[in-house]
Amino acid sequence: MLVRHCPWRSIQLHQLWRSRAIHTREVIHDKRWPGWQVIIGIEVHAQIKSRRKLFSESFTSRPGETPNTTVSAFDSAFPGTLPVLNPKCVELAVRTALALNSKVHHRSAFDRKHYFYSDLPAGYQITQRYSPLASGGYIKLSKGDVAVGITQIQLEQDTAKSTFDGLRHTSLIDLNRAGSGLMEIVSEPDMRSPEEAADYVRTLQAVLRCVGSSDGNMEQGSFRCDVNVSVNKHGQPHGTRCEIKNLNSVKFMMMAITSEVFRHIELLESGCSVPQDTRGFDENKAETFKLRSKVDSPDYRYMPDPNIPPLLLSEEYIETIRKTMPDLPDATRARLLNLGLSERDADVLMAVDSGREIGFDGELGKGAVTYFDSLAQQRDPRVVVNWMTHELIGQLTARKETFSDNPVSVEQLGELIDLVQDSKITGTSGKSLLKHIIANRSSSAPSALTRELSLEAVSEDDNASTRAWCVEAIEALPKEAEAVRQGNPRVLNKLVGKVMQLSRGRADAQNARVVLEDVLRR
Amino acid sequence: MHNAPTDDMLVRHASPSLNVNSIHGPVVNPYHSLNEKSIPWAERERRSAGGSSGGSAAAVAAGMCDAALGTDTGGSVRLPASYCGITGLKPSYGLISRWGVVSYADSLDCVGVLGKSVDTVKTTRFHHMIQRILPQATPHAREKAKVSAESLLSTLDADLSSPDLSSLRIGIPQEYFPSELNTTIVTAVRRVLERLSSLGAQLIPVSLPSTPYALSAYYVIASAEASSNLARYDGVQYGTRSRLLPGADKSKPGNVYAHTRSVGFGAEVQKRILLGTHALTADAFDNYFLQAQRIRQRIKTDFDSAFRVPNAQLSDPSPNPDGVDILLHPSAIRTAPRLDSDAASGLGPYLQDVMTVPASLAGLPAVSIPAGLAADGWPVGVSVVGQWGSDELVMCIGKVIERTSNEDNRNF
Repeated sequence: MLVRHCPWRSIQLHQLWRSRAIHTREVIHDKRWPGWQVIIGIEVHAQIKSRRKLFSESFTSRPGETPNTTVSAFDSAFPGTLPVLNPKCVELAVRTALALNSKVHHRSAFDRKHYFYSDLPAGYQITQRYSPLASGGYIKLSKGDVAVGITQIQLEQDTAKSTFDGLRHTSLIDLNRAGSGLMEIVSEPDMRSPEEAADYVRTLQAVLRCVGSSDGNMEQGSFRCDVNVSVNKHGQPHGTRCEIKNLNSVKFMMMAITSEVFRHIELLESGCSVPQDTRGFDENKAETFKLRSKVDSPDYRYMPDPNIPPLLLSEEYIETIRKTMPDLPDATRARLLNLGLSERDADVLMAVDSGREIGFDGELGKGAVTYFDSLAQQRDPRVVVNWMTHELIGQLTARKETFSDNPVSVEQLGELIDLVQDSKITGTSGKSLLKHIIANRSSSAPSALTRELSLEAVSEDDNASTRAWCVEAIEALPKEAEAVRQGNPRVLNKLVGKVMQLSRGRADAQNARVVLEDVLRR
Repeated sequence: MHNAPTDDMLVRHASPSLNVNSIHGPVVNPYHSLNEKSIPWAERERRSAGGSSGGSAAAVAAGMCDAALGTDTGGSVRLPASYCGITGLKPSYGLISRWGVVSYADSLDCVGVLGKSVDTVKTTRFHHMIQRILPQATPHAREKAKVSAESLLSTLDADLSSPDLSSLRIGIPQEYFPSELNTTIVTAVRRVLERLSSLGAQLIPVSLPSTPYALSAYYVIASAEASSNLARYDGVQYGTRSRLLPGADKSKPGNVYAHTRSVGFGAEVQKRILLGTHALTADAFDNYFLQAQRIRQRIKTDFDSAFRVPNAQLSDPSPNPDGVDILLHPSAIRTAPRLDSDAASGLGPYLQDVMTVPASLAGLPAVSIPAGLAADGWPVGVSVVGQWGSDELVMCIGKVIERTSNEDNRNF
């Protein structure tokens, strides 16, 4: 009765000590370790792509930012400052939770986790220990019809970054990262191989990027993994788990898991037990090493943060986010196919889209799918996708540029497509025009450029111009003309090509063919 | 103040109620009776001004200023006000922003004001802030609080020489008259009650049964939060950095922190940090911190069932027609202790807060008003405590008490 009135629910304390339920899956036989079962759970810390930090007004920093420049008094734990929760971070975490099929709690709360370290200026990190933002959920892996359960998702502060300067024997502290918002996403121990772990991480990255909640970039540190590994003989009780901390690429994660599995098997086969350690990964030796054992694990002295009232989220708020958040990859793909796009075109668009820059605070970046959607508003989606995949993306690729470098606005490409569709310019002219816009980073309207470059299509009535180009072409290629006259129609294409070249694409190829034949027959 | 905070500041915060642990020496209570006036300062009886805002209280009492600010975590404004014979207000928790206040125990810390009279307190900008903020922030709860307090306020005119208090129900909590309470303080409080009763106020005995546990809960919660808030004074970002002795093991960062914090914090602060740290460790958490939170909840429930006005912060407050409008009790169990007495050492200082701590735990507005003198000739304070958000009502009754006791003193 009284417990229920407590500002935060002590009942939930018991959940912390509940033994982890490990889902039973079909026995998987792995040739690398026959007879052994490997069980993997992953804890991900993903930086929230918000413009400002979790509890302060200062901007989040980008990689390469000058150290200690995006720091407010609160971030540096200056006495007398207080936290104010950034609603954008909450929104992005809720998007993530919904995308992972998690239950977003109407009431969650913030706690302090205490430890002394130079990268933690307040001496505590604000996190959600007792009442997380969301719990439950799952994510479907791309292969093998496997769903990995999500235990919980919580909001917490990132720490500062400390770098040890070996020459000067000094720790350098950069507070830029201190207080940025993180989502801690804890998986159930549902993965059974390094490959599944990699699949989980890649799928999760794609989901976060898709809903715009995180860059999901492991190399730049905006997506960090701690991996729990245990090993047991098939049909026997689960083994003791070890946690491998701070893995910063999928490749290293797989290597770390593999080496850890072999280490456990070696210990078990020699009759030893596996001690419950927290381990690091040495990339050069490709093996894990002990950081600390269970007995050394610190007591974090969790305490509800008295400065932050509980976070109350109404059903309407959650529903609004559900309705307005970006589609997940599966839904996007289905939608694109529904518009009449081929599987291949949809794949190309989505592959290009997945590499887009994620906007701050959930704003949609300049992704290929968004670009396509704007273009296809009042146009034939199949025509639009052709122009995008074959011409626009093709030309960008030829220039070794990515879609994020695309200088062509939706309005420009839209008008260009309309000009071609309305036969104001030929398809060939359209392509040259696009090339011109990309090469010159032109922001002019395609219709203006058409006039400027004299690319207007020659109308069918204007046979005089076409006839003149045809005559010129025949004079330029007398041998080919003679061949056609001798009855070799395939050589005609060469002459048509010459006409197109002379007209700079303005002539209609079909019309040119008719006129050429006519001229040659005389 | 970009530099590290001094140990002095921390001591001030964590110091129990007497202000004898300050780096500048104890604050001496400047109160003096009329017949003492001729005695030189150095020969007067040296008594405590109370703590931790004893400096502010002493400055007001000595006439150096009309009003002063102070923080009140468990009674640090009200107790010094009581000892020095002035008015001290602790507003409802959360009404006044704590931005800029160095945290001691965040869930209890309030910015309060000390003044030579209720009117002085009311004329501070600070008091205007309460009036302005109350209807603004979290409109729903505060509007409810305001409306319920206003209906009673409209019938009261504290400026009249004999205001009509017939609609006022004053609760006298029986737990606030423990055996430790000095009997001449009871006499002073009784005089106040008689005067209020003669103006028509109804005096109603009430019980707040969880009161005896308040002080223990308070020290657990306040110490736990203090241990957390003081963690930043680690000699890296804030606080004095003390160099390790030659040959010390620097390989574990813990050694470096432990060394600098052992040197930098005074004994009293270390005691609080250790107590708070222990209360938060995994093994002790349930029995100490969680238990203290449960007691805190019971104390809130006690208050809510005593007041007529429901707690505006509750989602479904039920009206309580038999409840009281304010509670009235002594501000302290005694008058200011002599600086060289037993009350200034051992457990004594911790017990000083026993009367003021419950309102802190419940976040309620409370004001201490001078209510004449005890047998030893030193000031007695009475506390008026109201439901959350009824700061105006509490000040209004404070004004009536101040006016009637002044008249009484003139009649002596």
